[in-house]
Amino acid sequence: MNNRLPSDARETGAQMTDFAMQASTTREAPVADRAQALKQFALSDKTFYWLTRVSAVSVLLLLGGIIISLTVGAWPAIQHFGLSFLTTQRWAPQIEPAPILGGLGPIYGTLVSSIIAMLIAVPVGLGIAIFLTELCPAWLRRPFGIAIELLAGIPSIIYGMWGFFVLAPFLADHFQPLLIATFEGVPVLGAIFGGPPSYLSLFNASVVLAIMILPFITAISRDVFMTVPPVLKESAYGIGCTTWEVVRSVVIPYTRVGVIGGVMLALGRALGETMAVTFIIGNSFRIQDSIFAPGTTISAAIASEFAESGGLHQSALFFLGLLLFVLTFFVLACARIMLMRLERQKGT
Amino acid sequence: MTMVSVSSDNFQPVATDSPVKVDIRNLDFFYGDSRALKNINLGLAPNRVTAFIGPSGCGKSTLLRVLNRMYDLYPNQRAAGEVLLDGRNILDPQVDINLLRARVGMVFQKPTPFPMTIYDNISFGIKLYEKLPKSELDDRVETALKGAALWKEVKDKLGASGLSLSGGQQQRLCIARTVAIRPEVILFDEPCSALDPISTAKIEELIDELKTQYTIAIVTHNMQQAARVSDFTAFMYLGDLIEFGETSHMFTSPEKRETQDYITGRFG
Repeated sequence: MNNRLPSDARETGAQMTDFAMQASTTREAPVADRAQALKQFALSDKTFYWLTRVSAVSVLLLLGGIIISLTVGAWPAIQHFGLSFLTTQRWAPQIEPAPILGGLGPIYGTLVSSIIAMLIAVPVGLGIAIFLTELCPAWLRRPFGIAIELLAGIPSIIYGMWGFFVLAPFLADHFQPLLIATFEGVPVLGAIFGGPPSYLSLFNASVVLAIMILPFITAISRDVFMTVPPVLKESAYGIGCTTWEVVRSVVIPYTRVGVIGGVMLALGRALGETMAVTFIIGNSFRIQDSIFAPGTTISAAIASEFAESGGLHQSALFFLGLLLFVLTFFVLACARIMLMRLERQKGT
Repeated sequence: MTMVSVSSDNFQPVATDSPVKVDIRNLDFFYGDSRALKNINLGLAPNRVTAFIGPSGCGKSTLLRVLNRMYDLYPNQRAAGEVLLDGRNILDPQVDINLLRARVGMVFQKPTPFPMTIYDNISFGIKLYEKLPKSELDDRVETALKGAALWKEVKDKLGASGLSLSGGQQQRLCIARTVAIRPEVILFDEPCSALDPISTAKIEELIDELKTQYTIAIVTHNMQQAARVSDFTAFMYLGDLIEFGETSHMFTSPEKRETQDYITGRFG
């Protein structure tokens, strides 16, 4: 359809050229030049169109290729374990002849660490964004904003090392005992915040994850907060709102689509984050009540075991990878659907 | 009080008798180092419409933004002098800005409905200051919408988004929102510049009705509009108040040459 457009345009151009020639023969020469120039445009237009088309299609091909190779790699495990892979906790690759492998531990760890990270990072990130756009003195705005963005540029291995040597010991020595003592004896919370403090734990990994996704949430929400028309904020201030009321009732509702988009992007990153998490989560496939106990995530499990794996074990890791792919896809799809619904609500 | 000093023979006694609602004295305004208002002196008469006219950049919108201290939101903007609202200087840093803005409402150039339902657009401002039972709140919303001549058009869709209304309706919604919190002064900053002639006529009619209850200041680029809706007119040029007086007088026999040139369209 689209590639007919340039030639249509050329035809119209030619007709116009004819017309011009009939009208005035004295201008014949420049008009012919113009037709020549138009022809050249048509060629470069076509090249450009095909280049962009090939680029776009190649992305889809890559996506399809990744899905297919993941599925092929995972196929032996899918056939061998079936759906019980999703509900089995035991991970025993060394058992002969057939290892017992279940993905429940990594799936649980992935979801829980991401949820805890979001619980920490979303309020803090939104708070920073609100401060930067509404409250921060002008001279501090730029340095502050740049510092936050630099956080996003730190390679994840550095977060892993820092988490392992600095943050995890600090949390285990000072923060975890506090929570454990606070919730001791409380029915459900006592179990969640129970057990001995640990350097390598789901909780510590979640805190590092939270720090890693913070800049995404902050940067995106700051950018969308800045799209609120000043006059809209002024009219809210104009009926006597305080800054908090303006933010809660005007800025956030006006930008919620963008904010949710940013949060989902951060969640996507948290689900797939590998290096930093592998360092400090403890790589234990057992699911424990306490978030201070070690755990593992899908990506951490793959990263730490893939090199020494083979056969069904490797296939099971492929299976985990496929599950992560589906999970991330699902999250992003949910985000899209949510955004579409919000947009439709706004439209009516 | 400048208003008295420029009064001419045919000045209405009702205006001179009543004290001014807003009294602006020796007001200067600065954007950083540039002086946008130069020693402005004038008073807004209660229950009257005062129009501010002048070419773009003359400081009329700036003056309006001083009256509810909207400039406070931005760094590097400051005012010097006095603005007395019922005798009290609102430029005093001690003044509670939120309460001030509830007393001095503002309607902007472009309609700015909040991203919520029509009902919430109105009730939002009321709920900031008053805790009302639902039925009373409903009454207040209805009164406000009737006051802004919008009730008939929206009464069946109060739950719809404020953004779903037409431009003219949105602007009347903004007026209703301003009226709902029962201010004393309403500032209109070119309220019709984004509207079609029919909506403009409705808003002008509305302003005429509103002045029975409120003191009104309006900035406009439309000379006919100033002549139609206002009782007093102030002509400003490059930060100076050139002439201020009764609209009927000013549009028929202005005292200053610049005023006459501007009104007749010779410059600006």
